[in-house]
Amino acid sequence: MLTAAAILFSLIMILLLWRGDPKRRRTSGHRDGADTSSRRRLLVIATLLPGLLLVLAGDSAAFFVWLGSCVIAGWLAAQIQGPGAAR
Amino acid sequence: MIHLPKEETKLMVAVHGWSGILLGLLLYAVVITGMAAVFAVEIGEWSAGHVETRSAFERPIDQPVRALGASTPEKYHEGVDIFEIGDHNLGVFFHHHELDASGAPISRGIYYQLDRDGRVASAREGTDEEVFGPRNDDALSSFLVDTHVRLHVPNPWGLLLTGILGLAMLVAAISGLLIHRHLLKDIFTLRRKAHPVLVDRDRHSVAGSWSLPFAFILAFTGSFFSFYGTVGVPIVAMSAFGGDQQALSDAVFGNPGAPNPTPRAIGNLDRIAADSIKRSGDAPTYMAIENFGRADAAVTTYHHPKAGDISQVTLLYNGATAQFEQEKPSVGTKPSTGGTLVAIMGPLHFGDFAGVFSKAVWFGLGFAMCYVTLTGLRLWLARRVERMRSLDWLERTVTVVGFGLPLGLLGAAVSFLVTMPLGSAVFWTPAAFLIVSAAVIIAGVAAPTHAMLSRGLQIAIAVLLVALPFIRLATGGPGWPTALAVGQPSIMAVDLAMLLSGGWLLWHLIGRRSKPLARSAPALQPAE
Repeated sequence: MLTAAAILFSLIMILLLWRGDPKRRRTSGHRDGADTSSRRRLLVIATLLPGLLLVLAGDSAAFFVWLGSCVIAGWLAAQIQGPGAAR
Repeated sequence: MIHLPKEETKLMVAVHGWSGILLGLLLYAVVITGMAAVFAVEIGEWSAGHVETRSAFERPIDQPVRALGASTPEKYHEGVDIFEIGDHNLGVFFHHHELDASGAPISRGIYYQLDRDGRVASAREGTDEEVFGPRNDDALSSFLVDTHVRLHVPNPWGLLLTGILGLAMLVAAISGLLIHRHLLKDIFTLRRKAHPVLVDRDRHSVAGSWSLPFAFILAFTGSFFSFYGTVGVPIVAMSAFGGDQQALSDAVFGNPGAPNPTPRAIGNLDRIAADSIKRSGDAPTYMAIENFGRADAAVTTYHHPKAGDISQVTLLYNGATAQFEQEKPSVGTKPSTGGTLVAIMGPLHFGDFAGVFSKAVWFGLGFAMCYVTLTGLRLWLARRVERMRSLDWLERTVTVVGFGLPLGLLGAAVSFLVTMPLGSAVFWTPAAFLIVSAAVIIAGVAAPTHAMLSRGLQIAIAVLLVALPFIRLATGGPGWPTALAVGQPSIMAVDLAMLLSGGWLLWHLIGRRSKPLARSAPALQPAE
């Protein structure tokens, strides 16, 4: 349950990162709406936070499942042809 | 990210590209079979229609093993390995250790395969190399695992080859990290309508960037397993044990103690199995007995990791009294950092530490690795094919391997389903793979265009994926209601995965039918 919550939280953060990714938006012709550097840094920290908590909790199995899920989620998120798909 | 000087970057690009192009196709074969082998157990259950869900160690094993001990020559009582085979039946190998002509340790003994009622279904005497091998009901999963582990090349060369491929993957991952100047900036950038080189570059770098941590983990752990027995053990044995590998094995993995050859009946194995299940929360995956029938007998049980952990549980029992002695580290007799590192290698490579959930994640990671390898090869070609038309053969080769390999594996699965009821699956499973591979190679030579070849192979993959569940049913495999009634969800899960992936691929291919097959004439654009 804790693992699923960690994955879900990081997944939402990854989707927010995807949504405001400056390079992705620029190549898709959307020059506005990109995240600022500080907001992106905060989102990256928030994405990694559940992993850190799992490490601190000593749950190595959950950590690796979380890490693998984030990798796949990030890769799949990049495939989304959302508003203004990359050209 | 890391900014290298221009010359060093060029060198790294060359290292990355050439290591990929020289070993990429073999690496792809190892990775794609490894991806499927993550679910080797489930594929075994699905393909053979296994519906038993209770472990053999949860059923009485003491009486059958004790009876086998009484009828087995005493010279083979030095070690007894007990494990599951087929539909949760028991395999028992009574053996002793000896050295072969080259000085490598081998086991020689009698391998018994028991049926569901604990009766001997078969008994084979010989060395471990001779008696173990694929069975009629696990020929498909064995074929997958053997391809992944050593590409069917005899030992030790097969293991050395896959070890080198693992190192090549490490080199590619490290050089890829060093040459990618905008790893994080480009991590979501996939330009689909750009120049083909840019499209291939984005596909490769996005998948490669995301999967980079696991490229390191899977390549390192894979190389570790390949080199462990072929290089590591002989070197350590030479330097510390005078070349005696068996002495090394006894010192590192054995249970040291004063020998006591006094004859004494083995303790109750059912009691040991039940106690180990209580302590670890899971049935043993393996049970090893040292000095069967002696007062100094020791029984070790191996279990999947406990919840929240990734290293397997190893429990040691007094063999004569069946009393629990201690939880044992994988290496040595006391916990150590090295022992822990060795213990986590397996779970990190196989992804089986948290059941189906972690396996599904590892399967996805394996798919990402396949994608990175193939798109990397395509990118290398796309950058050169414009000025070197003679590379058409290499482009076809990449397609033949890229799509032909999964097609060959699916062909092997069809053959297994048809021939297993006839008892000839051990021969026909690899034979079908070779036949399909030969047909794909011929198609690769004969197809009028590369695009037609690529599309034709993908359609064949999709059709076989959709057809396999129906072939399984038609050849006598259990239906979903039967499987679910006995609590065996993997049969339905594999069926559904095949139907969905095959259906999606068909839909994707049909949706693309109206689009031009050949690439448009390229225009020069930067790839970096």
